[in-house]
Amino acid sequence: MNLTYFLFFICIIVCTLIITYWAAKRSNTTNRFYTAAGSLTGFQNGMAIAGDFISAASFLGIVGMISINGYDGFLYSIGFLVSYLVVLFLVAEPVHRLGKYSLGDVICSRFPSNKMRWIMAFGAFTISILYMIPQLVASGYLLRLLLDIDYSISVLVIGGLMTIYVVFGGMVATSWVQIVKTVVLMSGTFLLSLIVFSNFDWNVSALIDKVKEGTPLGEDFFLPGHLFGNPLEFFSLQLALVLGTAGLPHILIRLFTVRNTLEVRRSLISSTWIIGVFYVMTLVLGFGTVALLGYQSLTATDPTGNLAAPLLAREVGGDFLLAFVSAIAFTTIVAVVAGLVISATTAFSHDIYHHIIKKGKSTEKEQLKAARWTALGIGLISTLFALRLETINVTFLVSMTFIVAAASNFPVLLLTIYWKRFTQVGAIAGMVSGLVASLVLVMLGPHIMNPDSGWIAREAVISLHNPGIIAIPIGFLGAILGTLFSSKQAQPIEEFSRFYIRSQTGIDSRREGA
Amino acid sequence: MDERVLHLIRSKRRLLVPAIILVLLFYFMLPLSLIFIPNAMNKTSFIPGVTWAWAYGFLQIPMTWVVGWVYHMKAKKFDQQVDAIMREGQS
Repeated sequence: MNLTYFLFFICIIVCTLIITYWAAKRSNTTNRFYTAAGSLTGFQNGMAIAGDFISAASFLGIVGMISINGYDGFLYSIGFLVSYLVVLFLVAEPVHRLGKYSLGDVICSRFPSNKMRWIMAFGAFTISILYMIPQLVASGYLLRLLLDIDYSISVLVIGGLMTIYVVFGGMVATSWVQIVKTVVLMSGTFLLSLIVFSNFDWNVSALIDKVKEGTPLGEDFFLPGHLFGNPLEFFSLQLALVLGTAGLPHILIRLFTVRNTLEVRRSLISSTWIIGVFYVMTLVLGFGTVALLGYQSLTATDPTGNLAAPLLAREVGGDFLLAFVSAIAFTTIVAVVAGLVISATTAFSHDIYHHIIKKGKSTEKEQLKAARWTALGIGLISTLFALRLETINVTFLVSMTFIVAAASNFPVLLLTIYWKRFTQVGAIAGMVSGLVASLVLVMLGPHIMNPDSGWIAREAVISLHNPGIIAIPIGFLGAILGTLFSSKQAQPIEEFSRFYIRSQTGIDSRREGA
Repeated sequence: MDERVLHLIRSKRRLLVPAIILVLLFYFMLPLSLIFIPNAMNKTSFIPGVTWAWAYGFLQIPMTWVVGWVYHMKAKKFDQQVDAIMREGQS
């Protein structure tokens, strides 16, 4: 590894550790550890949400997809962006008003029971871990490709850093690492986009003409249909993308880190601006890669196209810019995995340890200690898993996370907040059927069952790579059937009214109430 | 107090339900039109040199910003009304 790379990486590691040291002194209560005591402003939280959401799969994957598949790569970004309106309109404010630290709190504010909390904690934990492991594995590959560092060392460094951030700095450190990541990522991609345009004398049509020359698709590069051949597959993916964010625990717990609903809305509005501008820039980078580097040299280095952004940086700015973009990718990964560690930690230490094992009676000191130990355990276990999974392709877990979230957490959250006849049995049935359906459908799909390279070398039972269109309705159906079969357990209407008024206005709520 | 709160919730719902339906329609019309009318989507749109597929795809971005912003502005008024009701309840 040459000196430029080394200095960039050391700079990022030192900066984030200084943040963690500063945050550690402020994370001395559970409220601060889990939610930074609601101390972030809407804009800061918006940057942290963007930092939590834009994974390496977005930054590197979408640029690569656009440079290989043209238009269809861009469609991914649209789904991710519009999903924030679903969060804003349907779940954001009620989640903030009803919950304290976790999604379990939100659902248990209507259906208080250990069973419900178990299921919600299990769901949040599963989604966070399923998302974290592929990110860690991908980070190992990425650093190996970019810097020629051994896979295990890369995974250990990233796994170690995310654990340190969360164990010592809790949500305060995680949030600020994510904010720094957003600033670095946005400024880096902006700079790179400007360099791309300047290479064409700021002439967009010259860039587009060069793109047509650089891709084997020619004129067709700008037409839809290169990535999604099967219409059902395409629609199914779009459905999971737009509904998935509203069920992602690591995004939803960020709604507790601001003090009121005005700041919740500000957070989400700011994050849509950041994410929207970011995806427009990924389009420029995708085009720039094809125009300046060409399809052949891109796929010769890496057939998946994931190295498009770093290769583009080397092409236009030499080793220095490549080192900078690699550092951005590194920051992107640590910020996202840190967000996932804290989300899994909250599900375990707050929901399971504090509420179920200690029956809500553990002291402040015990809770904080449990949270730190849980974070350490989760960090260690996921790092170990990522080390073992080096040779196995786990990238499909990233898109699966959105399906699991959209099929389990989303229906249960939505129906809990809005459906007066909804019952606890319905909520449990919805969570279980959504989780099981998405896992089974992915198992029976071509990611796992594939005669050439699958874990099970047979023809897939379900031909869809993204079975959201089947799994999401199953989640809703499970919840509705569970409710119909347990209609005797429905809450008295006055009780629901009180809950509903609280979820919609905050009257009688913990934070905004008297 | 209860009647005013319910009225407030109802008027918020009257804003949100059509808003979310319109957003989802606007969003899903993009994949649906790409699936069912691909030829029309590949024709030049109201912007010279840009096809409908690109124009519509791009429009989703300002749509998200504008709709989010409009709701943000309207929701501030709801918050003020809720605060007023809560203050009255306390006094």
